[in-house]
Amino acid sequence: MQQERRSVGDLEAEGSAVLGDGPCARYRLGAAYDEMFEAGGAVRGHYAALHQRLTHLPPEELTRRQQACEQSFLHQGITFTVYSDAQATERIIPTDLLPRIVTAPEWDRIERGLTQRIAALNLFLRDVYSDGLVLKDRVLPRSMVYGSKHYLREMRGLPVPAGAYINVCGTDLVRNEKGEFVVLEDNLRVPSGVSYMLANREVVRRAFPGTFRAAGVRAIEHYPRELLATLRALAPFQDDVSIAVLTPGVFNSAYFEHAFLARQMGVELVEGRDLLVNDNVLYARTTSGLKRIDVVYRRIDDDFIDPLIFREDSTLGVPGIFNAYRAGNVVIANALGTGVADDKAVYAYVPKLIRYYLSEEPILENVETYLCREPAQLSHVLANLDTLVVKAVGESGGYGMLIGPHASEAERQAFAIKLRANPDNYIAQPTIQLSTAPTFVESGVEARHVDLRPFILNAEETRIVPGALTRVALKRGSLVVNSSQGGGSKDTWVLNQ
Amino acid sequence: MLSRVADSLYWMARYIERAEHTARLIAVKLESQVEQSSEDARASWMRTLQALSGEEFVADRFDAFAATDALAFARTNPSSLLASLRGARDNARQVREQLSSEVWEQLNRLYLRLQPVTLAAFWNGQPAEFFRGVLRDLHTIEGVAYSTLGHGEGWYFLELGRYIERAQAVSRLLDLYFGASFAGRPHYFDWLMLLKFCSAFEPYCKAHTAAIKPERIAEFLVFDREFPHSLSFSIDRIGAALSHVAPGAPTARRAACERLAGRLKASVDFGHIDELMKGSVAGFLAETTRQCEQIHDAVYATYIAYGAESVL
Repeated sequence: MQQERRSVGDLEAEGSAVLGDGPCARYRLGAAYDEMFEAGGAVRGHYAALHQRLTHLPPEELTRRQQACEQSFLHQGITFTVYSDAQATERIIPTDLLPRIVTAPEWDRIERGLTQRIAALNLFLRDVYSDGLVLKDRVLPRSMVYGSKHYLREMRGLPVPAGAYINVCGTDLVRNEKGEFVVLEDNLRVPSGVSYMLANREVVRRAFPGTFRAAGVRAIEHYPRELLATLRALAPFQDDVSIAVLTPGVFNSAYFEHAFLARQMGVELVEGRDLLVNDNVLYARTTSGLKRIDVVYRRIDDDFIDPLIFREDSTLGVPGIFNAYRAGNVVIANALGTGVADDKAVYAYVPKLIRYYLSEEPILENVETYLCREPAQLSHVLANLDTLVVKAVGESGGYGMLIGPHASEAERQAFAIKLRANPDNYIAQPTIQLSTAPTFVESGVEARHVDLRPFILNAEETRIVPGALTRVALKRGSLVVNSSQGGGSKDTWVLNQ
Repeated sequence: MLSRVADSLYWMARYIERAEHTARLIAVKLESQVEQSSEDARASWMRTLQALSGEEFVADRFDAFAATDALAFARTNPSSLLASLRGARDNARQVREQLSSEVWEQLNRLYLRLQPVTLAAFWNGQPAEFFRGVLRDLHTIEGVAYSTLGHGEGWYFLELGRYIERAQAVSRLLDLYFGASFAGRPHYFDWLMLLKFCSAFEPYCKAHTAAIKPERIAEFLVFDREFPHSLSFSIDRIGAALSHVAPGAPTARRAACERLAGRLKASVDFGHIDELMKGSVAGFLAETTRQCEQIHDAVYATYIAYGAESVL
């Protein structure tokens, strides 16, 4: 297939590039860093093999392979269920067959950066739940920590095994216009998505078997084994550690992942109603009698986990589990109260925390962040709403935010009112052009914005599996990758070299 | 296994057995009504409704359509065919992880197929064939379950549910035919129906020839060791299932259920048809039903809904 090359002058005039007649004919390059193409339209070295493959596959074949991926998801039950009166429809979270590729040196830096980051965050949590030296040293304002809705007074003075508060972390990285990976946010409470990382690998490996083999992609299938080792390490003084995955139940949208991980690790999947606490020991009710549980990998929010201590209307949790935890008779992973460290306002201070606890420069940078609680920064934000993304500190899932450049003047005015009313609750960041990656959509292969969520495991050591969930905003131009708002996912290939 | 999971498997199996029994009774009734006088047909429908606890759900106008609708689809009837399938599916969904994809998909598809159906849509065609189709799908589920599920503790809770439900259903049927409530004396055609309700016609003929004799029917449906719908067979399977569940439970805890099952088994193993016919058939059947209920209660008290104090 002929690849049409335009002159650099033409590209600058258009602000985009046309990349040949094949599947990438409608691929448009913009201001964002593109994972596959350099600014001039040349294919990046590590994407060459995939690009070559794409130009040789007829479009119907690509469609067929894409459909095979989707069918596989459906048959495996990697679905979320939409319940209506008449029936329950199973839908898959959209998956795209084109892998997103990361080179070894890029990944090495990411891995070192994430290891450093989680070490600092765990030290921070230990500190704020004990002596609070970081606050005495005025590294960040007391009110930000103690006033955070996720700070749990009940966790004060409660030691956790290995000082590892965060056992499973999902950190969202994005690549900015300069091509650098920066941290967008940490997810330290109940991060999900790893089952999609694993499922995508399965289907994409079958969609591009030759390309996969030739590329030398690092394996990720051992994630469940690593997770099991991490959970076991939290109860090191026992021979036969009994572990359970605590799920809110079948109606939870991430239920598939809970069941999947429990099955892959070979541990019991339990709901709150299977558990009881007697004499501060946690048990599961089995047909053969009560079975003691030593470590709980909980996929239930702090608020709902113990109706005796937290939300009393919760039917998902276990009355008394917190007391069992406090008595040291059960380990809860992730520890309760980690939300204070993935608060969007605390996020802005993480580079300072890395310097404070580790005396090191952060390997991975944050995105530049304005704290609206600071009057000077608030003024700047209000004056520049049309270029900034404003986020509510306690929210997730892409809700409660304003994407300035995409909003109407009226929407910005309305948001400004909310901002002035409660500035402490908001932070703002410049609109980053998330990098784009080749994505197979109806009209062929086009550029869509992506992010990167690797998973970091931590107990007595930090374990990071060489892979990640790449989330993709399926609508052209959209920067919102969350599945709850129309995002999809891709397999991520971390190369051996 | 988790008590909650055992509970769901047990009920999934009971609901599937209930659905199968209901579908078969309806199919047999619809196929046979052409050969009956309208008076006999009415009485026969009443018996069918009674067998399936459906008599309250028939509206004022009583006819085959109303009866079938009450038994199969009526929203007000908690034991309707559709309600049983819904119960089976809801329980299966809770323990999807314990089931193979084949079992789940078959059950889910059957429910979704039946869910929007109205009787009026096919009543003028071949209604019996519709219910035969449901029966075929249910048999497929049973077969797929047998071949694709591990026969571990979960399997034996399925067995327990199926056979406790079956024993009670067959007892109820027998009671209607041998008990005092039968208006007049049943004649040949009624006995034929009873046998067909239990899928017993051909097996009975093999054992006793086509000479339909009430005593031989009772003997077959109560005491036959080999026929899968006999009380003896169901009770035997209940005992076998009980010996396989909760393998980790201490002997003392298992004793309650096993004793009840053993006693029930003795009453059919060592019973004899002559004694039965001389004595009170109704009494025997009522006692059998009562003991099945006791076993159900004991299973719950021992393995599923036990208080923590009883084990600590």
